[in-house]
Amino acid sequence: MRHTPYRWHKPLTPWVFVLPTVVGLLAFKLLPIVSALYFSFTEWSLLGSPLFIKLANYRELVSSEVFVRIVRNTVQFSFVYVIGSMVFGLALAVLINVQTRGIAFFRAAIYLPVVTSAVAVGIVWNWMLGPTYGVINNLIEAMGMTPPYWLADMKLALNTVATVQVWKMSGYYMIIFLAGLQNINADVLDSARVDGANAIQSFFRITVPMMASTLFFVLTITIIDSFKNFELIYAMTKGGPQNASNTLVYDVYLNAFVYYRIGYASAIAYVLFIIVALMTIFNFYVRKHLVEGLD
Amino acid sequence: MKYKTASRLRLLLIAIVSIIYIFPFFWMVSNSFMSDKNIFAVPPRFIGDLLFTDAMFINYKNVFTQFNFGLYTFNSIWVFSLAAIGQLVVCSLAGFALSMMRFRGKNLIFSLLVITLMIPVQVTIIPEYFLFLKLNWLDTYLPLIVPSFLSGAFGTFLLKEFFSQVPRALFDAAIIDGVNAYQMFFRIYLPQSSSPMATLFIIAFMNNWNDLLRPMLYISSRKLYTVTVALSQFQGQYEVRWNLLLAGSVLSVLPLIIVFAFSQRYIIESTMSSGIKG
Repeated sequence: MRHTPYRWHKPLTPWVFVLPTVVGLLAFKLLPIVSALYFSFTEWSLLGSPLFIKLANYRELVSSEVFVRIVRNTVQFSFVYVIGSMVFGLALAVLINVQTRGIAFFRAAIYLPVVTSAVAVGIVWNWMLGPTYGVINNLIEAMGMTPPYWLADMKLALNTVATVQVWKMSGYYMIIFLAGLQNINADVLDSARVDGANAIQSFFRITVPMMASTLFFVLTITIIDSFKNFELIYAMTKGGPQNASNTLVYDVYLNAFVYYRIGYASAIAYVLFIIVALMTIFNFYVRKHLVEGLD
Repeated sequence: MKYKTASRLRLLLIAIVSIIYIFPFFWMVSNSFMSDKNIFAVPPRFIGDLLFTDAMFINYKNVFTQFNFGLYTFNSIWVFSLAAIGQLVVCSLAGFALSMMRFRGKNLIFSLLVITLMIPVQVTIIPEYFLFLKLNWLDTYLPLIVPSFLSGAFGTFLLKEFFSQVPRALFDAAIIDGVNAYQMFFRIYLPQSSSPMATLFIIAFMNNWNDLLRPMLYISSRKLYTVTVALSQFQGQYEVRWNLLLAGSVLSVLPLIIVFAFSQRYIIESTMSSGIKG
């Protein structure tokens, strides 16, 4: 039972409770966001003091072919990830939304990669996708086809990593969709069936519209999650071959902690921040003007 | 009635899909029981040749003796347990204030927590690294533990949601008895919340256990490695010794699978109700 809180406590007591949270937000979120902006206007290797160079880092970014490629990779990764996660997440949820013995086991099995580290996932998929000894390519050869170089091919590497990430995370979105599906009134589906609707009609005419807010919610979080691909890229390709699978989050790490170009890396981090901020604002806007009316 | 009964076709589809999700784990385990020669067999063997022989656990033994995996597991367990306890403390306090109290700035704190969930860690990691460098905390566990005692968005939402659903009668009765805010939290609300607290502990522990970036940046001494960093370093050094690498992967995943097996209902339920992961 919900109720609006009233002031039953001393005025300052809430601040005792939220003090650590406020300190944490300031020290690890707000302050870093502001100082990253300052760092992005400097040239610095962590040693000595930062040299203020105004917009030079951003100018270098805009004129760098590698950076343009990385932004394109980031968008492509997000695209594959968002579409793949939404389609597979929803399909899995619809598939598994049944009451039968052992269904909890299957549900847990599909969820298992979610709780597995990206490093372990990367290692086992690298091994399975390997050119000579990998089980997948051996299978493809056995069927008489020529298998591709999943991770060494410039055209394929990014999509391969994104697909593995979809495999890893789709169980998570499945669970959220499952919660949405179970909120649909079964009577509505039953009466549609009585009226002669087939499974496909009732899926697109009833299930999807009634899930509009869940679909939008999952769209929002898949977009946010699609930027969080550092670990899997590190474990599978290290951004290679020749930046073919390098993305913004990986490039921040590379420039900051491998090349020690702190200012330049901060500028990349800020481009990432602005993209995420725009996405978030867009989401809030769509939610306000489109989705709320549908509920 | 929430469920339909399953048709045979659907069960078949579910089985096929599950294989796609389980096979890589099966492959990880079966290949970790292979000898150096057998693992490079073409076409690949499905069952490890070392299984049920005297040398069955040789790869695992090598991972423990040559690569000290026991120590890294021990490091990860205590450091991330401590960090998870930090999450329980800070998130229960903040969740209680945000759900039960009325004060200015509440909405601002709430919005900031939502926003922090959206920002990738790479946006803030450089200044964060600089902060720990200046504090002289590099190559200690402090950067992995202290932030967990200071804020956690996911846990705060989870516990805020839980506290706001505790029956109102309990709150009213306590007010009539004249308890103050601290007694209300420690005596009335906290004892109720063992189930969401356990869920939060497990989720926080798992997320930290699997994290790579922070421990990789902050820990440089080999003896302080966490399991995930060790595995990643191991991958860089022993690229061709796949049987050892896969044995290490199994060892890094096994503790989490055991925890998950016992708690999957709660973890999945918390995903269903909150829809956000830390």
